[in-house]
Amino acid sequence: MNCNKTRVLMSIAVDGELTVKEEQMFLLHLSECEMCRLEYEEAKKTKMIIRNKIVRFNAPASLVTMIMQLSDVEAKKTEDTLSL
Amino acid sequence: MAKPETNNPAKASSKKEALSREENLKQLEFQKEAVVHINSLYNYALHLTMNPDDAEDLVQETYLKAYRFFNSFERGTNCKAWLFKILKNNYINSFRKNSKEPGKVDYDLIKDFYHSIKDTRTDTSEAESDFFHTLLPEEVYLALQSLPEEFREVIQLCDIEGFTYEEIANMVESPIGTVRSRLYRGRKLLRAQLESYAKKYGYNTDTEQ
Repeated sequence: MNCNKTRVLMSIAVDGELTVKEEQMFLLHLSECEMCRLEYEEAKKTKMIIRNKIVRFNAPASLVTMIMQLSDVEAKKTEDTLSL
Repeated sequence: MAKPETNNPAKASSKKEALSREENLKQLEFQKEAVVHINSLYNYALHLTMNPDDAEDLVQETYLKAYRFFNSFERGTNCKAWLFKILKNNYINSFRKNSKEPGKVDYDLIKDFYHSIKDTRTDTSEAESDFFHTLLPEEVYLALQSLPEEFREVIQLCDIEGFTYEEIANMVESPIGTVRSRLYRGRKLLRAQLESYAKKYGYNTDTEQ
């Protein structure tokens, strides 16, 4: 396998979604190519940066309450329809 | 057939109670399976709409629909993925249609937004001298937002929400091969963008503090 093909597989490798066969070829190439090894480290880092640096927000409490009530209201509606 | 108005009230109410129990169970299951994902959905909605009010509306609509169709949710499959798909469809059908400038990113809004809710998460002390670590969260966010939607979307679903390729393929209604190649191309663009931010950050001190 050449470096170009390896680069395509890298993105899949960081997600752990390579097939067994792909993984074998991928690892074999990495063991022989330092450039690709370095690039793979960078690829893993990029994924971690996205994962770690994107701030996660909590849904506003009012929204959570509303959703809980929503299923209440919907439950009553369904019930009324069924008991007609 | 018995006349409905002579229905025994006791009987009627017992029937109603039985339905209540069933409905109650559904509600409990819904809360346990679906409502627990509210933060993820809210974040996804924020990324799509770029506006907290719209995000709330979108999440609310999504849950309303999800509750109505909860019986069609295949038990044992990923409920979060199911909800995301509903949210995405809702967004396409109602929100994007109404938005004045679809896909236009309001950078000031994002910056303000990020500043207003800072400290939600404090950076872990990664002692790496990597230039990526100089990046601010809002810069990473902007870099992500600068990508064409089809790339941004798969990166979000994969890296931030942790869905599998199969789940993503189902959500974006494309083959897995397409998901793979969008991730590959999207990450390449993203990395270039991040590098340019990091470089800029090196010389440029933030003007407004």
